[in-house]
Amino acid sequence: MTQTILGTGIQEGLLLKPVRYPWAYELYNQAVANTWFPHEVQLGEDLADFKKMSDEERHALTFLMSYFNPNELLVNKALAFGVYPYVGAAEAHLYLAKQMWEEANHVMAFEYVLETFPIDRRQAYEAHVNVPSMVAKEKFEVHYIRRMTEQTLDIGTTEGKRDFVRNLVAYNIVLEGIWFYSGFMVALSFRQRNLLRNFASLVDWVVRDESLHLKFGINLILTVLDENPDLRTEEFAAEIKQMIVDGVTMEEQYNRDLLPRGVLGMNADYINQYVRYLADRRLEELGFAPHYNVTNPAKWMATANDTLQLVNFFESTNTSYEVDARAR
Amino acid sequence: MNITVAKRDGSVEPYDGYKIARAIETASTGLDDQVTRAAQLQSELEITLFDGISTEQLDEAVIQVALQNVKEDPAYDTVAARLLLKTMYKRVLGGCERADDLLPLHRSRFPTFIRRAVADEMLDVRLSTDFDLDRLAAALEPARDDLLRYIGLVTMRNRYMVSGPDGDQREVPQFFWMRTAMGLALNERDATSSAIAFYEKMSRLEYLAAGSTLVNAGTAYSQLSNCFVMEMDDDIEHIAKSVRDVMWLTKGTGGIGLSVTKLRAESSPIRSNNTTSTGPIPFMHTIDSTLRAVSRGGKKFGALCFYMENWHLDFPQFLDLRQNSGDPYRRTRTANTAVWISDEFMRRVAEDDDWYLFDPLETSDLTELYGADFSRRYAEYVALAEAGELRAFRKVKAREQFKTILICLQTTSHPWLTWKDTVNNRALNNNTGTIHLSNLCTEICLPQDRDNIAVCNLASVNLARHLVEPARGERPGRERPADKIATGIDWGRLRESVRLAVRQLDNLVDITISSVPESERSNDLNRAVGLGVMGFTEVVERLGWSYESEQAHSLVDELMEFISWHAIDASADLARERGAYPNFDGSRWSAGLVPIDTLDIAEEQRGIPVTVPRTVRLDWDALRAKVRGGIRNATLMAIAPTASIGLIAGTTPGLDPQFSQIFSRTTSSGKFLEVNRNLVADLKSRGLWTAVREDLLRVQGDLLRLPSVPDEVKSVYKTSFQLSPYAFVEVAARAQKWVDQAISRNMYLETRDVDDMVDIYSTAWSKGVKTTYYLHMKPRHTAEQSTVRVNKAAVPTDDDAERVRASSAMATVSSGTTGEHVSAVGRRGFGFAQLPAGVQGADIACPVDPQERFECDSCQ
Repeated sequence: MTQTILGTGIQEGLLLKPVRYPWAYELYNQAVANTWFPHEVQLGEDLADFKKMSDEERHALTFLMSYFNPNELLVNKALAFGVYPYVGAAEAHLYLAKQMWEEANHVMAFEYVLETFPIDRRQAYEAHVNVPSMVAKEKFEVHYIRRMTEQTLDIGTTEGKRDFVRNLVAYNIVLEGIWFYSGFMVALSFRQRNLLRNFASLVDWVVRDESLHLKFGINLILTVLDENPDLRTEEFAAEIKQMIVDGVTMEEQYNRDLLPRGVLGMNADYINQYVRYLADRRLEELGFAPHYNVTNPAKWMATANDTLQLVNFFESTNTSYEVDARAR
Repeated sequence: MNITVAKRDGSVEPYDGYKIARAIETASTGLDDQVTRAAQLQSELEITLFDGISTEQLDEAVIQVALQNVKEDPAYDTVAARLLLKTMYKRVLGGCERADDLLPLHRSRFPTFIRRAVADEMLDVRLSTDFDLDRLAAALEPARDDLLRYIGLVTMRNRYMVSGPDGDQREVPQFFWMRTAMGLALNERDATSSAIAFYEKMSRLEYLAAGSTLVNAGTAYSQLSNCFVMEMDDDIEHIAKSVRDVMWLTKGTGGIGLSVTKLRAESSPIRSNNTTSTGPIPFMHTIDSTLRAVSRGGKKFGALCFYMENWHLDFPQFLDLRQNSGDPYRRTRTANTAVWISDEFMRRVAEDDDWYLFDPLETSDLTELYGADFSRRYAEYVALAEAGELRAFRKVKAREQFKTILICLQTTSHPWLTWKDTVNNRALNNNTGTIHLSNLCTEICLPQDRDNIAVCNLASVNLARHLVEPARGERPGRERPADKIATGIDWGRLRESVRLAVRQLDNLVDITISSVPESERSNDLNRAVGLGVMGFTEVVERLGWSYESEQAHSLVDELMEFISWHAIDASADLARERGAYPNFDGSRWSAGLVPIDTLDIAEEQRGIPVTVPRTVRLDWDALRAKVRGGIRNATLMAIAPTASIGLIAGTTPGLDPQFSQIFSRTTSSGKFLEVNRNLVADLKSRGLWTAVREDLLRVQGDLLRLPSVPDEVKSVYKTSFQLSPYAFVEVAARAQKWVDQAISRNMYLETRDVDDMVDIYSTAWSKGVKTTYYLHMKPRHTAEQSTVRVNKAAVPTDDDAERVRASSAMATVSSGTTGEHVSAVGRRGFGFAQLPAGVQGADIACPVDPQERFECDSCQ
């Protein structure tokens, strides 16, 4: 077991050096440099915008927060119960520990949003158990985490390793890589209309973190597949792909509840085309051929997310800085 | 498309795609592919629509789809700007269906606009009484609206234009320029002619007044000055007074520099109540909160920079003010920080000597001293400290403190480095006391004291509007697009712009009002102004040069010498017409000195050469004689950052480089994509643009990473992080020869090596750069890109080179069908599986791009 990234021996992986998976170590260092705190932006300045927004826009924002808030913690459960115990490499543990702090930090960021805007908090907190499309998504995730905890799992067996990959695909590819990303697009769209700029700064940071989470998860999946030829079966590949396609179907239903009618710049079909575009990208990253073959409808994401940003620091928070510098 | 649109009057009409396409076509007049563009935007619009959308939302949605295509062609920015203009015309002028209506509507509505706004007490009453409104109206040229880019127009509307009591829009761009011009001509004998002259310059974007002036000129609240410089004294009464002054100045939209060096250190004794002081940090936090409280409806908060000299005992805590963690009461999240550094310190850094920190309570004369006098006194305090005769002091290695400052700068972009001795030794206005600090943007060098809050008034010449463009048919051999080539500088027009700008600034001094008597007084006694420039990088690009080239460096030298000469000459002429500024006697001006002469003073005081070439081109002797006889303004030049007015001018700000060839700007008006138009034109003329544009976005505007672009293009269009940091230093040093105040020198770094930073900032000091400003660090990691393909699996975090090879290989093979891309980067993971192809079916949305639609089976 010591030769591969998977493992359960508590006393293994107590030394960082020599680093066996440099990608994990690099991701850890980058994640540390990316450290931020929610209170660095002044959300209160977005309040006037919130009041200006239409009912449907406010509904969309509340709906997003209702979903993100509990699901950041759900990711933590997936990591704590389904990933951390079955990974042996110390560098991967370092990264996972930082990621778990980041998920906690994201929850605090979304709590900050919920506490700043005049949102019906009880309704927001209850949505993930009351709104059927949200319930379905949560059920999907919980199903895979449960298999890692409540049933006896032996990571040395093929079936154990399959469960490990299933859980990873469920929380990392489907939840973080597709569901969250579709929400980020909607969240960032407000800034394109000069609404909720400070909220968008929080989202910028969250997206920056999530990009690393995805890099880590995808590299972990690929490494596990490289190291375990017994997982490389047509049948298992078909199952994993189906999970992603199912994830898209669930997201489509959810987005119809998110935007029953439409807001300036988008409607549910538009978001769903973006979801399919994302899903194809994730499929390709795992080595699959694309499934949906659609273009990205949200070209404006080039402005919102894809470029280096020059911030007028008198007018907005610079979210591009990195901490953790030192003299040699 | 079968949906309805809700009109403003409450009625409902069916959505009319034809009408939308026509509107877009009109907005595309004069651009390539007018009809294709309209069809594409229409289809992109329609996938975003929903039943019951309002006409206003529809207008905005069309603009948004135009904007999202700017990454493919900056012409879409023009389309978006024209669409936005049309909505402004509709609101302000009451509809404007045909282009021919525009001119008569402007001319007929302008006098009414002024009279109504005066009646509503929004504008100064003199605007309706002291001007010939019909003559002004006849001078309006709405065709100049086409000079404005989308972000400029939005900035103008959101930040600078006058709106009515209910927030209703009152101005269109040409009304705005004329109102500003009138507000700066109020003291002129022939106010109408002067207003027209100022209008001509500003509406052609040849020079622009600074932000506060654009907001308030001509209004009933004429606070037109831009910069305020003040200091907190070491007593509680004055600390409280300073908080009050910050509030008032912030209310009037001015930026503030505030020195805290005089405040005694933490644990320093307070005799009056037999306790000890908390030091300056908590008071700075108080001021920081003040900036948020007085914030124009929570939208535009106050802006201030704290200055401290680095020998203050609490300087280590000062460095922490901008950290993102720690005790929030010991942080300033809004205010900026700058360090005021002596030559003595720089020498000790070079020689790896010790550096001593003192409590100003025990060393109170140090803040008043500079140059050799400071060094002498500092050495005496060092001796006292070592002899055990000071209550408190700390000793550190100078080099260690310098590195700590630079590490802090790297992670928090603060404190900005500014050099007090270069500032003071080169000051021509040195007869009114020591300069204790610079201002918010580090370009102002004015003395202040308890009775004087220094004030400066700014304007910036847009260098990019002073180029000679060859006549048609006279294209040089190089393959460059006709509208982007320049063959030289239009010196005649530049002379005219500089001289008129100085007059306009001098008028401002008399017209502006201030809510703080100490600043009113300082303004009257010194009449300090600061004329700067913007668009330098654009000029260099259009001449086909690199920012790093000696050509560019001698150009900035030559330009600033010329501008400085004419600014000073114009001010001396004004002194003959209107009298010298009251504090003139005893100034270095009165001794016949001009900016270049003070380099020797700085060098002598430092005892080390200032390493900048001393080339001189113009007849300064004539000017020396002339200024001895009087000058109208204590200062003439200062190069401001022009972060906002640069957007309106549509050019590169100040002396700054292109941040990147494609990047986004975040301002209080939102986030905007910027593509370098000069580059696009250059690549288009070489037939390369469509082939490289997606790759350009993938590499975030870093042209050097695209193999298909020729080297001669790459050398002209480097991003800010690729340019040598020494180029920023050199450009500033050359300009600083001629600038009597200072320069907001933004810095950009890719290196995170602190030793490199020590070299760069030491070089800036040794070349005589007075101040540096914000440091932009290149982020090592950015979020996953959404609109261009990236493959995480193939990309370990540090393997950029591989990614570029992979992506550019792909770009030459295909227009980006996904299968080819994946095979190009190799396939791990589940690539082995032979799974059935994706569900191609009716539920699949068709592509929105017309070209792709043409190739899509289900569309055809």
